[in-house]
Amino acid sequence: MPESSSPDVVTFSPSVDTLGVDRDLVVADLGYRNGETPDMVRELVDELLPQLPSHVEIRCGFRILPSGSIDVAADSVTANGISFSMGPIIASQLKRSTSLALFVSTVGPQMERWSAQLMAEGDMMKGFLVDALASEVVERASVWLEQRVVDHVTPRGWKITNRYSPGYCDWAVSEQQKLFSLLPHQFCGITLTASSLMVPIKSLSGIIGLGPDVKRGAFQCSICELKDCYRRRDDPEPAKEKA
Amino acid sequence: MNELLESLTRCVERGKVDIKSPYPPDLKGQDGADEFARKALDAGIPPQEILSNGLIIGMQRVGERFRNKEIFVPDVLMAAKAMAAAMAHLKPFFQSDALKHKGTIVIGTVLGDLHDIGKKLVSMVIEGAGWEVVDLGTDVSPEKFLKAVDEHPGCVVGLSALLTTTMVNMESTVKHVKAKHPNVKVIIGGAPVTEEFALKIGADGYSSDPQGAVEFLNSRCTTN
Ligand code: B1M
Repeated sequence: MPESSSPDVVTFSPSVDTLGVDRDLVVADLGYRNGETPDMVRELVDELLPQLPSHVEIRCGFRILPSGSIDVAADSVTANGISFSMGPIIASQLKRSTSLALFVSTVGPQMERWSAQLMAEGDMMKGFLVDALASEVVERASVWLEQRVVDHVTPRGWKITNRYSPGYCDWAVSEQQKLFSLLPHQFCGITLTASSLMVPIKSLSGIIGLGPDVKRGAFQCSICELKDCYRRRDDPEPAKEKA
Repeated sequence: MNELLESLTRCVERGKVDIKSPYPPDLKGQDGADEFARKALDAGIPPQEILSNGLIIGMQRVGERFRNKEIFVPDVLMAAKAMAAAMAHLKPFFQSDALKHKGTIVIGTVLGDLHDIGKKLVSMVIEGAGWEVVDLGTDVSPEKFLKAVDEHPGCVVGLSALLTTTMVNMESTVKHVKAKHPNVKVIIGGAPVTEEFALKIGADGYSSDPQGAVEFLNSRCTTN
């Protein structure tokens, strides 16, 4: 259930169990493929997964901009008088949008502390796996949130595009400043530093195009140019989309 | 090569820490880096030889296999743990000068950036190559880097960053350090960093992975 607030600013605190975080997704993100994961890594992930609920504090939410308030050009989108210079790759994906959902998700500050503490105690392996789990949880939370956006806009006869994040596909990370200027202060507990870093670290932000005539494109990695990203997927499986 | 040194190399490469360690499963119950280091010392092999002809070779293979995506971060962490178990026996010899680091690198994630993992991983592999690593942590200001360089004459500086917005702080750090110490070499790395950017900001080296940093240090920053 949504927790707040004005009709077009909605936040959630989903429990980690609802997000479908599983061991295989986590180890695949570490790079292992085809059952080559060391048993020890698998066992440690299995040991850590049930401990997640006492360390995560997932918060996510979105703001839906008023219909017709955005203007999509060839390489930018203007919303509420703010021009996002996201480049032609993303702008073209947003072409038919009449509105935008601006979103964030975070696992909260506790996971970072847990990871750092394990490392400080000398358990680098567990500390690293907690870090990787935190990344996976925030990705899953963003996928989950996408569906909440769908639920929210379907009654209006709108559909959604894929998610797009500052820092991807030629969209500068510094544009996070613009994105956050359109969100409530410390939305979902996230602050943006002068260097456009979100704190807590395990947070994601972005936009989703909305409107009656938009559609979700093919798999996200297909439009990204970072060919040797270790998270790159060549199989178009929507459940594994990345921000 | 000496059999004990070969065993040490293999233990580091496979991440076999000690006899109690169940990992890797095919070496369960066998001696690990801990035991072989002790045995090598007891057999009278000089510490420098144990380090250079045993441990460092193992870690070099790890760095190369990681670069080739044959192994992944957890494997590097196990290798570093095995290396550390062996190094515990060698550490005292640094005091007596029987063992020398190749040099010192002062490393940190630049101002405005809190990303730690990549830099930690690079540090482990560099340490495994026989260098002393002074890790300044994350969100390190140019002033703090400079202070560390003052304190470690002749050191190399390593900078890490995860975002393009924080990567720009590498430039101010390079300038700040080189203004006082023009001969100090700086190597940079991190997901958004490129060779081109390194050249532009006046850094001396760039690497996309830990082993590249080791190669830079060994080829460009050693005097002996
Ligand atoms: C001294 O010499 C040297 C030499 C080598 C050196 C070195 C120093 N330092 C590092 N190296 C090198 O060796 C290390 C070991 O191999 C490596 O260190 P790394 O730290 O890179 O490697 C780690 C061991 C593992 N790597 C990682 O942990 C990063 C992996 C990728 C996939 C990644 C992840 C996991 C995440 N992210 Co994001 N993320 C990406 C990354 C893409 C990629 N393929 O790298 C990157 C870094 N992220 C990016 C972005 C944009 C973002 N992320 C974000 C969020 C996230 C997650 C939370 C989902 C998650 C965790 C992030 C975290 N900080 O913990 C956001 C920012 C978060 C914030 N707090 O502000 C967000 C801004 C997206 C958004 N708008 O929400 C991109 C940055 C691009 C840019 N223009 O700056 C990015 C490159 C992805 C991309 N576009 O392809 C090398 O870089």
